[in-house]
Amino acid sequence: MGLLAQALASGVVTGAIYALIALSLVIVYKSTDVINFAGGDVLMASCYVALLALISAGLPYWASALAAVGAAAVIGAGFDRLVLERIGRSVRGQDVLVAMVTATIGLSYVLKGAVRLLSVSSEVRSLPSQFLGPPIILGSVILLRQDIGILATAAITGAALFAFYRFTRLGRGMRAVAEDPRAAALIGIPIVRMRMLSWAVACAVAAVAGLLVAPKILMTPDMGIIVILAFAAAVIGGFTNFPGVVIGGLLLGIIENLVACTSRRKRSRWRRSSSSWWC
Amino acid sequence: MRRTALAVVAAAVVAVPLLSTDYGVYLANTLLVSGVLAIGLDILLGLAGQFAFAHIAFFGIGVYATGLLTNRFSLTFPLPLLVGATLATGVALLIAIPALRLRQVYLALTTYAFAAVAQWVFHSWDAVTSGANGLRMSPTVLFRWHLIDDRDAYPLLVVIGLVMVGARALLENSRLGLAMKAVHESEPVALASGIDARRTKIVAFGISGCYAGIAGGMLPLFTSYIHPDTLGLETLVGILTMVVVGGLGSTWGVLAGVVVMGLLPELLRDLQVLRELVYGAVLMLAVMFMPRGIAGLAHRSAS
Amino acid sequence: MRRLIGAIVALWLVCDIGSARAWPVGDPHGPYADPGISDNEIVIGLFGPESGPLRNFGFDPMGAAQMWYEMVNKAGGIWGRKIRLVIEDDKCDPTTLNGVARKLVTVDKVFLLNGGSCTPAAVSAQEYVTREKVPFVMLNAAGDNALFPPTRYVFGAFGGTQFTVGGTLFDFVAKQLHVKTAAYFGNDDDFGSANLAAAKFMAEKRGVKLVAIERVPTNIVDVTAPMLRIRQANPDVVVVTSYPQPATLAMQKMSEFAFSMPIVFAVQSVPNPAGLVKNVGNLAAFKDFYYGSPLNDLTDGPRQRWVLKMYKEQFPDRTPTAFMSYGLPSAQAITYALLMAGPNPTRESFIDAMSHLKFDTGVLAGPIEFGPDKRDGHNASIFIKFDGTNSERMPGVYVNEYRSEK
Repeated sequence: MGLLAQALASGVVTGAIYALIALSLVIVYKSTDVINFAGGDVLMASCYVALLALISAGLPYWASALAAVGAAAVIGAGFDRLVLERIGRSVRGQDVLVAMVTATIGLSYVLKGAVRLLSVSSEVRSLPSQFLGPPIILGSVILLRQDIGILATAAITGAALFAFYRFTRLGRGMRAVAEDPRAAALIGIPIVRMRMLSWAVACAVAAVAGLLVAPKILMTPDMGIIVILAFAAAVIGGFTNFPGVVIGGLLLGIIENLVACTSRRKRSRWRRSSSSWWC
Repeated sequence: MRRTALAVVAAAVVAVPLLSTDYGVYLANTLLVSGVLAIGLDILLGLAGQFAFAHIAFFGIGVYATGLLTNRFSLTFPLPLLVGATLATGVALLIAIPALRLRQVYLALTTYAFAAVAQWVFHSWDAVTSGANGLRMSPTVLFRWHLIDDRDAYPLLVVIGLVMVGARALLENSRLGLAMKAVHESEPVALASGIDARRTKIVAFGISGCYAGIAGGMLPLFTSYIHPDTLGLETLVGILTMVVVGGLGSTWGVLAGVVVMGLLPELLRDLQVLRELVYGAVLMLAVMFMPRGIAGLAHRSAS
Repeated sequence: MRRLIGAIVALWLVCDIGSARAWPVGDPHGPYADPGISDNEIVIGLFGPESGPLRNFGFDPMGAAQMWYEMVNKAGGIWGRKIRLVIEDDKCDPTTLNGVARKLVTVDKVFLLNGGSCTPAAVSAQEYVTREKVPFVMLNAAGDNALFPPTRYVFGAFGGTQFTVGGTLFDFVAKQLHVKTAAYFGNDDDFGSANLAAAKFMAEKRGVKLVAIERVPTNIVDVTAPMLRIRQANPDVVVVTSYPQPATLAMQKMSEFAFSMPIVFAVQSVPNPAGLVKNVGNLAAFKDFYYGSPLNDLTDGPRQRWVLKMYKEQFPDRTPTAFMSYGLPSAQAITYALLMAGPNPTRESFIDAMSHLKFDTGVLAGPIEFGPDKRDGHNASIFIKFDGTNSERMPGVYVNEYRSEK
């Protein structure tokens, strides 16, 4: 029983992170019809930006985190504006998806290659957790402050996203472009800029997820493989529906932990195959 | 002009074993396997317009089936390859039936998941694939002979490659090929003109799987070891890159893509740690500035 | 179209000539039976991961091998011949190494191969070198699957196989920590299987009961479940043999759960002890912590200093990783065997010399020893107690008694 409750608690935390990454993928997909295979690598790169800001520039944590999120947004916006825009104009018909997905794969290699040039990437590193203190013990369940912090931050980020898309003019414009670009263009919404912003927001969300997960899973230039699980979460959630994707992420986290606690070998095998999968 | 081109290619094919080192022959062999794989992927992607990731799984089925049949029963050459290809085609058809009900993004993600599961099977089915230890494959038997090195395998691989390119050329203007193109352009229009879009797509999936299976069967002709880690997304991305850089839907373009992207790592040899970065950048620049791939460039410069 | 084909052919030629830029030495009609050797030169193909995720396992050891050869050259070479290296990147990938081995042997015409930092890649080259009768001396790969059963042309385990790593761990926990029960946390791949086989054997032999065995994939992100099961088993010692990342996660969890028993890490689990402390962030977790090493001392200990000094001279602007000196012994073995093989060595006489090699490296815990049917060179470890800031070598050298039943 204790094992089960612990698994459930851990599952919700990992699930919340999967959900955030999945949200990032879905924002991109909804606004530009692209499956972003570089999502995990944007997350990875922004973690290294934070690490560099912390240890090389000596900035305080909040400034480093801000730098990471900002860098991710710039990468996303720049990639959309410079690369995807061009492909969208020059490639015809159904082949656009293939070309754009290939471009995201290219981006993923570029980000990984760039991070490998940094000397800090040559060994396993981690970002400091901002939620320290003794764990909270509830019966047989150990709740880490870090985990509670992750859950709270993820929830706040999710709520902020929701509010942004629901209540701000900009957010509503971005939604309109995602739903029906032609109609949006007719009523004067600048489509190109909205798409670029969507990429920026999506990559910023991925960066937040990265900052949350890095103290837990440690950083290597290959940590982007976590995106595989986010893809699974997004598919469970329907890929276009925000609340669905959040539920999908949480479900995946919980199932994963429950399976791990009930059967010994199976999960590790499954995880291995899914992880060695993404280069 | 086409005749000159063919003559040049024929001369190159003959020249490789005569003029090149063993390493050159080995490179040529790997390019031939990649070529068959890429043409197969292009049938699905460039001809029928279906974005799927399961190709690498069919390749793996071909490799393991051929390798195991040779290991265990010492079957003479074309047999293991044919069994492997049949198996790959069968699995591809089985996957196609449910998968093709899905829209593009789901098709891509589901087939991606299938490829992950297949790699997991290669990794975990210790009794058959010898799992994470990798499988050692004994030399191919051709009637009384054993094909031992790269030079032995080269002529056979060339013949298989030519047959596969020929089959692709026949498909181009056949009824089936035209139906695939119609489905690619617009499914509703294809349906309106009496094409069974679903059947066409399933057949395209099957043919594509067959190409991958045959490519898998070609590998054990000159390699003696397969590890499941090499049957992952990285390899598939490599093939996808060849197709996209070469030019979707154009056989000549795809083959040019195979040669260019296949030899690029040779040119990047001295870059060491920069290699990943440069490879990614080449990929992005290629899709940005060559929307129709190498085939498009050649077309433009010809006209 | 014609231009396109022309361009492709041109590219092909460039590549072929490019790859053939190293002109073969040795006159086929001259006095030497094998390629790669001439009156004043002997060519060695050195390879390992210079790029890709596993770069750190091989990049520095390759540098160490390079500096050894450099030193031999400065001292006049071997039988008057200078060593010339052709260096290639195998990315630790079996397919890449297949190509690299062929290139080195047929284009660069090397006399022998020295390289490989990862087992699957090394295994993939075994068949080719056996067929071509080219000596293949591994750099620092564990290489269990290529060494058992032994084959004539492949030598390895400079630093020890995973049998050595797994076996010596339990020799140590039984003799030095006097435990009765142990929990084991390792990899779920072939590397881990070899480690566990020897670990089980030595545990049984030394009367230690394995009460929990947890095996995880390299890229695991959450080790809560396996660590919970280990906690439930309540062992006298926790032995960790996984790759660095899962091992660090395991250490974090043990710190969170406030494990009080001794913890012993295998060499591959902790490339940088100070980094591990930083990542765990809790000094209390290290109050009873040990890690293994195939070296004869701490990486900055007095018996390793000569290597560090040599490295600093060769690469003034590089900082060596903990894996650096692992690259030295294979190069030492090759040069000694070349000396022993006499003034006119052939590949076969080199192999015979390798097969009788026994020497102390001045780097490793135990001697390097090959035999007519023994291709794994090293079989010992030392252990180091680490309290989070200071390292201290535990007395004794620990050995593995497990040999593959294959």
